[in-house]
Amino acid sequence: MTSKLLQKIGGPLYSNRRLISYYWQRIRKNKLAVAGLGFILFLILLAIIGPFLTGDPTKSNFEENNLPPVGFSTEVSIYNIATGQSTTSKIYGTWKHPLGTDSKGRDMLAMLISGARISLWVGLVATGIAISLGVLIGVLSAYFGGWADNALMRFTDVMMTFPFFLLLVMIVFIFGSNLLLIMVVIGLTGWAGIARMVRSETLSLRTREFVTAAKALGATDRRVVFRHLIPQVVSLIVVMATLSIPGVILAEAALSFIGLGDPTVTSWGVVLESGQQSLDTAWWVAVEPGIMLFLTALAFNFLGDGLRDAFDPKSRM
Amino acid sequence: MGKSWLKYYIIKRLIYAVAIAWAIVTITFILVRIGPSSPADKYLANILSRGQDVTQVTAAIEARYGLDKPLWEQYANYVVHLFQGDWGWSTSTSMPVIDLIKKHWIYSFQLILLSTILAAILGILIGIYSAVRQYSKFDYIASFFSMAGISIPGFWLGVMLILLFSVKLGWFKVYYDTTLPLFSLENLKALTLPVLTMVTGMLAGYVKYTRATMLDNLRKGFVITARAKGLPERTVIGKHVFRNALLPLSTILIADLGGIVFGSAYLTEIVFGIPGLGQVSFKAIFAADYSVVVAIVLISTFLVLIINLITDIAYTYIDPRVRYD
Amino acid sequence: MLNNGTILKVTNLKTRFFTRRGVVKAVDGVNFELRRGECLCLVGESGCGKSVSALSILGLIESPQGRVIDGEARYRDMDLLRCSSQELRRIRGKEIAMIFQDAQSALNPVFTVGAQIIEQIKLHKKTGDKESKDRAVTLLKEVGIPSAESALERYPHQLSGGMRQRAMIAMSLSCDPQILIADEPTTAVDVTVRAQILNLFKELKVNREMSLIFITHDFGVVSEIGDRAVIVYAGKDVETAPVSEIIASPKHPYAAGLLNCLPDFAKVADRLVSIPGSTPDPTAPPSGCPFHPRCAHVMDICWQQEPERVKLSGEHSVSCYLYKG
Repeated sequence: MTSKLLQKIGGPLYSNRRLISYYWQRIRKNKLAVAGLGFILFLILLAIIGPFLTGDPTKSNFEENNLPPVGFSTEVSIYNIATGQSTTSKIYGTWKHPLGTDSKGRDMLAMLISGARISLWVGLVATGIAISLGVLIGVLSAYFGGWADNALMRFTDVMMTFPFFLLLVMIVFIFGSNLLLIMVVIGLTGWAGIARMVRSETLSLRTREFVTAAKALGATDRRVVFRHLIPQVVSLIVVMATLSIPGVILAEAALSFIGLGDPTVTSWGVVLESGQQSLDTAWWVAVEPGIMLFLTALAFNFLGDGLRDAFDPKSRM
Repeated sequence: MGKSWLKYYIIKRLIYAVAIAWAIVTITFILVRIGPSSPADKYLANILSRGQDVTQVTAAIEARYGLDKPLWEQYANYVVHLFQGDWGWSTSTSMPVIDLIKKHWIYSFQLILLSTILAAILGILIGIYSAVRQYSKFDYIASFFSMAGISIPGFWLGVMLILLFSVKLGWFKVYYDTTLPLFSLENLKALTLPVLTMVTGMLAGYVKYTRATMLDNLRKGFVITARAKGLPERTVIGKHVFRNALLPLSTILIADLGGIVFGSAYLTEIVFGIPGLGQVSFKAIFAADYSVVVAIVLISTFLVLIINLITDIAYTYIDPRVRYD
Repeated sequence: MLNNGTILKVTNLKTRFFTRRGVVKAVDGVNFELRRGECLCLVGESGCGKSVSALSILGLIESPQGRVIDGEARYRDMDLLRCSSQELRRIRGKEIAMIFQDAQSALNPVFTVGAQIIEQIKLHKKTGDKESKDRAVTLLKEVGIPSAESALERYPHQLSGGMRQRAMIAMSLSCDPQILIADEPTTAVDVTVRAQILNLFKELKVNREMSLIFITHDFGVVSEIGDRAVIVYAGKDVETAPVSEIIASPKHPYAAGLLNCLPDFAKVADRLVSIPGSTPDPTAPPSGCPFHPRCAHVMDICWQQEPERVKLSGEHSVSCYLYKG
């Protein structure tokens, strides 16, 4: 039934409004995917306008350090030089810093919003690189077959067996912690799985009639690849892009966490790393960016899963 | 039917593994050599404080490491030594790289082995049950939680577990105790939180793939045949369907092993202070002790290749239709 | 209770599939009885509910989407539709066996043919390894598989289509069933093999004195093997008669239409005859007689009310207004 409908409305996704609205109807049924999409949109909005509403995330203020979030309190012992005694007092969170401050008195809310900007940016750029490379290599490999396919797939094997995180750590250590470098390296190392999937999808498409028809009409190889094959794998690409963004964001956070993050930016991983040093005095500094990372990854995963189900009628009856 | 083709296949794959290892050695060699730092940099402060001539001493040190020779000769030496089993000298720990690895591999091994076994058993059982009871409450809850599992940053989960169970509740030590005997209850207890961290991240993959491949096979004709034979449902699912689901399942899981499992073991070791190869290579990177890093990269790559080969051979027994040409 | 000659009596069987697109009335009141030693053919186009009827009797309908909602299937002293799943399992494969259309997908690809036959023998006969294996060899010989011992060690994909179907038949015979249900066993094989398989069924019928339910859409097959035929349309039985009688003079317009579709090689026809229209949407079957939209003899009453069953002679009955009482 569904496949009949798809055949009727067919065509590449980007140029077909009816197909998009059909998919949207399907996605809407999946509440988790909609919630994921909602959270992502909220995050994007936060990343765009947030920094104008909050203060400077890098501004230290030692008068107001280690403030807990609103609704929480901590005990701080203050050593009094005059009496030589230390007194314990309770500190409560204030609305001036609703999510508290870190050991240097920087506002957590401002840092988290700045982190959202960086994480989304990293996710976008690195996934963009990985997807473009993966799609290009996958489609070329499947389309040309023979020795080109063989060579490209062997290369993909090498990329897949390489302990990629170790490579990442090494490159960043050797060439310095620079956000652009980190994004590029994550992108350059993350395309292998995508290339594999695109290849197998294209292989099954290649034998279909419309490619034969296009060739019979005298279309060049280039035209067949860009006008006919790539648009057909678009839905697959959308799903894979959505599902690989969380991995990329978590990889950047992990790098920052082990001290290789770009020191000039305030990413969630960098904040988390600094929070790990002060677990016993200010637990929220490590907890809050972690929750943001978790929710962001969860949102992309739910959305990606929902998209896959919507695009592939076979996976859900 | 004979399986003589299998022998040729194995030989072909071994040659292929060596070729990949060579490619990786080359990549790491290039990375280290085109990097801006020289092994002599570490001694820079020393040299300056002694008032020695920097260029002269740097040249001397580089000569000792063979860095004064032309690049291709360095490369040839490097590759030849590696293949001869001479993995070099770890400058940061002052011992042969081989000895360093011999001392530390067991910590990584126990962590990965325990986590993989636990995650595989749990994940496959949950996945099977989710597939058999598709769209049930259990199915939804299981997929929700496994999704949450892959979304949690593993290193953060580790920190949170330490904060909760070690710092606040005091049930576990904050750092892994290396003096514990390997096969002891205390060691198992010390590994609880690290294993829990790894399993949380790995579980989702097992659940998702098991569910998908089981669903694929549950709809096939032989399932009705098996039921029509009068077999109990337990046998139908556990023997007939699962055996068919095993092949695609193992393919995907082995592919995951290289990237995901080794990556998460790496971070887990760092968070919990487990002195496995992950932590060793981590420290080595920061100490610019590259012969250690290269050795560990090579070992993990080789492991993935060998496990790949073993599963490929196992496939031919799991699914008699598989034939490699 | 059943009278002496009858071994299985199905009354008013109704099976529904509850899907997202609505309730599919796959079987909507099917009646037939199977006599000892006869071959009863269920005849109809694909999707008319023949196979689902057979699966319903054995309790093999996919739950929870599919459900038998009404009816009775008397076998010995019990109603198969209301048996516990355990009782049903003891009957399946042992007393009532089933053969499927496509042996390629009905046999499990990852087990040898022998293992699949032996599994069933062990399950029901509780025999040992040696005994079960010997029996499997005997069965393969009975269905005409050459070099039965080596065939036992083969996987389904290593056998030809005809051999696979024979192995499937051997498996179904392994526990000497009282009733054998064959669901289009000749549809998926080549024409030359089809004749061999049909001959095999004829031999088995004579040698084993089994009762056979043969599901098919092909009147050619019916005339070859059938004793009596039940014509099924849109989940209902519309005509029941001895095969010779129905071929000589079909009463229901649908039965006549099906017979007309057989190419008659005596005459050189210009074109193949077919029944106009297509099978009705099972989620919304037509009112009254389900065949009325395609019927050449349609009257007003046909779409207003469902026709009563009319008994034409002792053995021949039909549901059609053309034959009023």
